[in-house]
Amino acid sequence: MIMRVPQLLIALALTTASAWAQPNEVRKSLARITNTAQVPNYRIPWLPGQTGGGSGTGWVVEKERLLTNAHVVSNARFLTVEKENDPKKYIATVEHIAHDCDLALLKVDDPSFFKDTKPLPLGALPEIESTVSVFGYPIGGDRLSVTRGIVSRVDFRTYSHSLLDSHLCIQIDAAINPGNSGGPVLQDSKVVGVAFQGYSGDVAQNVGYMIPTPVIQRFLQDIADGRYDRYMDLSLNTFNLLNPAHRRALNLPDDGRGVVVSSVQSAGVCAGVLKEGDVILAIDGHPVFSDGMVELDGERVLMAEVAERKFLGDSVRFSVLREGKEQSLTVKFDRAWPYTLQANTYEQQPDYVLFGGLLFQPLSRNLTGAYQFANPRIGYFFDAFVSKELYKTHPSVIILSSILPDPINTYLGDFKEGIVDEVNGKKINALKDLAEAFEEKTEFYVLKFVGVGRPLVLERAAVEAARSRIKRRYNVLEEQNISASF
Amino acid sequence: MNKPALSLPLLRLLGCLLAAGALPLAAQNSEAPGSNSPTGSPQNPSGAQPAPVQTPGIPPEALKTQSKPAVVRVNVTNQPWDFMRPWAKRAPFSRRAVGAVLSDKRVLVTGELVANANFIELEAPEGGQKVSASVEVVDYEANLALLKAEDPTFMKNFEALAFTEGTVGDTLSVWQLENTGTVLVTKGSLTTAEVARYPIDESALLVYRATVSLQFRDSSFTLPVVKDGKLAGLIMRYDNTTKSAEIVPTPVIEHFLKDAARAPYEGFPRAGLAYSNTRDPQFRRYIGLNGDTSGGIYVTDVLKGGPTEKAGIEPGDVIAEINGEAIDQDGNYNDPAYGKLSLTHLMGTRHFDGDTVQVTVLRKGQRKKMGLTLARRSPGQFVSEPYVIDRAPRFYILGGLVLQELSRQLLKEWGADWSKKAPEDFVYLDRHQTELFKDGDRKIVVLSGMLPSALTVGYEELRQMVVKRINGVELSKLGDVPVALANPVQGLHKIEFEGDPSCIYLDAASLAEADAMLMQNYRIPVLKRLE
Repeated sequence: MIMRVPQLLIALALTTASAWAQPNEVRKSLARITNTAQVPNYRIPWLPGQTGGGSGTGWVVEKERLLTNAHVVSNARFLTVEKENDPKKYIATVEHIAHDCDLALLKVDDPSFFKDTKPLPLGALPEIESTVSVFGYPIGGDRLSVTRGIVSRVDFRTYSHSLLDSHLCIQIDAAINPGNSGGPVLQDSKVVGVAFQGYSGDVAQNVGYMIPTPVIQRFLQDIADGRYDRYMDLSLNTFNLLNPAHRRALNLPDDGRGVVVSSVQSAGVCAGVLKEGDVILAIDGHPVFSDGMVELDGERVLMAEVAERKFLGDSVRFSVLREGKEQSLTVKFDRAWPYTLQANTYEQQPDYVLFGGLLFQPLSRNLTGAYQFANPRIGYFFDAFVSKELYKTHPSVIILSSILPDPINTYLGDFKEGIVDEVNGKKINALKDLAEAFEEKTEFYVLKFVGVGRPLVLERAAVEAARSRIKRRYNVLEEQNISASF
Repeated sequence: MNKPALSLPLLRLLGCLLAAGALPLAAQNSEAPGSNSPTGSPQNPSGAQPAPVQTPGIPPEALKTQSKPAVVRVNVTNQPWDFMRPWAKRAPFSRRAVGAVLSDKRVLVTGELVANANFIELEAPEGGQKVSASVEVVDYEANLALLKAEDPTFMKNFEALAFTEGTVGDTLSVWQLENTGTVLVTKGSLTTAEVARYPIDESALLVYRATVSLQFRDSSFTLPVVKDGKLAGLIMRYDNTTKSAEIVPTPVIEHFLKDAARAPYEGFPRAGLAYSNTRDPQFRRYIGLNGDTSGGIYVTDVLKGGPTEKAGIEPGDVIAEINGEAIDQDGNYNDPAYGKLSLTHLMGTRHFDGDTVQVTVLRKGQRKKMGLTLARRSPGQFVSEPYVIDRAPRFYILGGLVLQELSRQLLKEWGADWSKKAPEDFVYLDRHQTELFKDGDRKIVVLSGMLPSALTVGYEELRQMVVKRINGVELSKLGDVPVALANPVQGLHKIEFEGDPSCIYLDAASLAEADAMLMQNYRIPVLKRLE
């Protein structure tokens, strides 16, 4: 389920693990992961970015594979793994990475790493108040650390790695610290979760979070075909039907069932099947209660949890009341949600076009993080991109993010942070549209920005004269990088 | 980009001081009672002499001419409405200021001082006699107000201040009052005269900036600024760290007083025009302006139905001259008193509502002269009103849903940082209202809060949404709400929102019962105010 939330959570960029039954057995299956990462610089997008380091924990999940958090191995350029009682550093590579649920699967180049290791078995959802142990290599020392706590609650929460995705999440009160990330949380010698995020000490005490086994199992099942397809999403909003007048208006009996569809994203899988105003009575045969919950495996969970367990190609069946008639509708998950500009992205070099010293970049969370844009219109486009379906007119939001000063653009400072609408009368829906418009041989390039009355005008002769000068002066390696399809 | 570029007036003509000197007030002869003659020997019953004697900083000419005080303490109790709870007012607070006494015995202060005033009194600097006063004319956009003592005899013992204009480089005196009634004079220099934002965001008028080290005094909300014993302006903002003061200057005061003298007060007119500079030579060549030295501004937008549109001026036109004054590439003309100054001053302050200016426009190589009749745009003409002062907020409580019209005043409830903290789509609607609502002439009804009741079960989390329709009736103002409520469908009121959820229902038959509960449990005196 995709949603937006405040950013209080911190990912635990070191690592942890736990198993309170036989620590000596468990430690054989643990690895300390060291990541040399290179983080792209969105302000100088033609440079490869700065290198930095981080460490975390991984554990043997199946034959010759290590499981860890995606954030432990994100943007990796060089990965090593180490075991207790083995002096060697082994080189590892990321086989699968799932940024939407913060999990990754690693291969180790030298298979001898896995000698004497045993995959740790996966357990079920632990009971509230039951005891768990966290294993890993957090800050405070070099050797294995084990902490113990109880399961405080089972909830749906935002995963801070992408900041856009929410999944099932278990809160525990064991100490979880940077370095614990990716480590197993054990109960009765079985893994019941992966430690992955917590609150900084000045926000809350004794609150740590782990990724529970349904999410881990879903990840492993998704990649079984050799490819990670991401979580599926219904891309619709529902509203509760607790109000008696609202129920009466929809001719519903007072039986505590049903939620009303309040919006359907036109780019989502439900578009064309479900409609605003439909009353969802059941999903895959599970009754939907009027507060939006369903009962799954004896637990009351959000209706979205049903979609959480689906894979690309699966379907979901709705019982819907529409215009007084009950109907059965089937939605096929034939694609993941396409517009992820609101999520943190990793691994990718930033997209951009540089023209006449003007740097154009598509709006994304990474971009807004790199620039503190003052133009409130950018904030609106970012936040309302999905809710107001701005993607219909601006599938990609191209921003004049900065200007490399040159005589050719010395009067253009006012246009900074503008959202490009048209160039020479053609709508700009993607960065490639912009690059194509700039390739045309025309006397003037006339750029219109959203909500700005005056066009920005560049003369082709002036741009061409300035080109090598700007490249040389600002050490621009490449004038564009276009990877995204929109 | 559409904000007028501002520049420092550097050129100055020697003669301008005299030319722009004290101005006669139209009201002066008609309104001042004979007994209040500003001249004559001291008649102060307490025998108090004005402070200058004890104050080394006072200019000698002030000592000579001022036998009575020309300033008065003004004590104001303000109590703004609480737009989050529109049925209630916030806690009252008090401000003390120094007002300038004018020749008709009225008192000039800033508009901000008396905004949402419950009670105003004038206090003699020495002796401390007090008298109630009322606001005679106020213009929050020009940040000026004219006060009148309820008992005219109180003003007998005051001298009047004449006016003068400032020139960049002048030494100005700021007058504060000591507890003893002594005038504390602090000198500073006038550094800049330019068109800048006034406290009401939508308003940009001439401002004097001065550097002056003011000491803290409890009655310093508004302070007269004096040059050669004559009033040059009123301080409206002071930054203690940079020691810079922003002053409402004489030309703005002069406009205000002339306008105030002929009822009804009209205010400062506008052109209804957004423009940008034409400095970029590439842009100048593109729009066909030849040569790099000529001026002209590029019209980026005209307000629908506004003066510029009525004059036939269109976006894309270049304005080259106004009333024969050349307009430069940044939108400045050469003012005789202040040098380069924004055309906003030329049109808005040098003219009155209803005046026509001749605008020379360049369009497709043609030069056209058009008459542009300036008009004030009252706050009520905005879709989201820029300010709501001295007027209770309109609201309608519908079964616990608090409905109001979106205004900048409502957004300011989110604090100084409202543009970041207030709901983003409200800020967006307010900021881009002319772009989004080309026809204007409407309001946006919003759900500003929720008072949970039996009717709103399940809706408790809703707030800060735009309300589009009730029972199928489009809402273009709050007054449409009761009209729409007259026709429930099958005993239910259908309320439609912009966004999620798109609609909710309320039981019409239970509304009266909910109303009684809301008034009793939440202690709300009235459930609606539409005027």
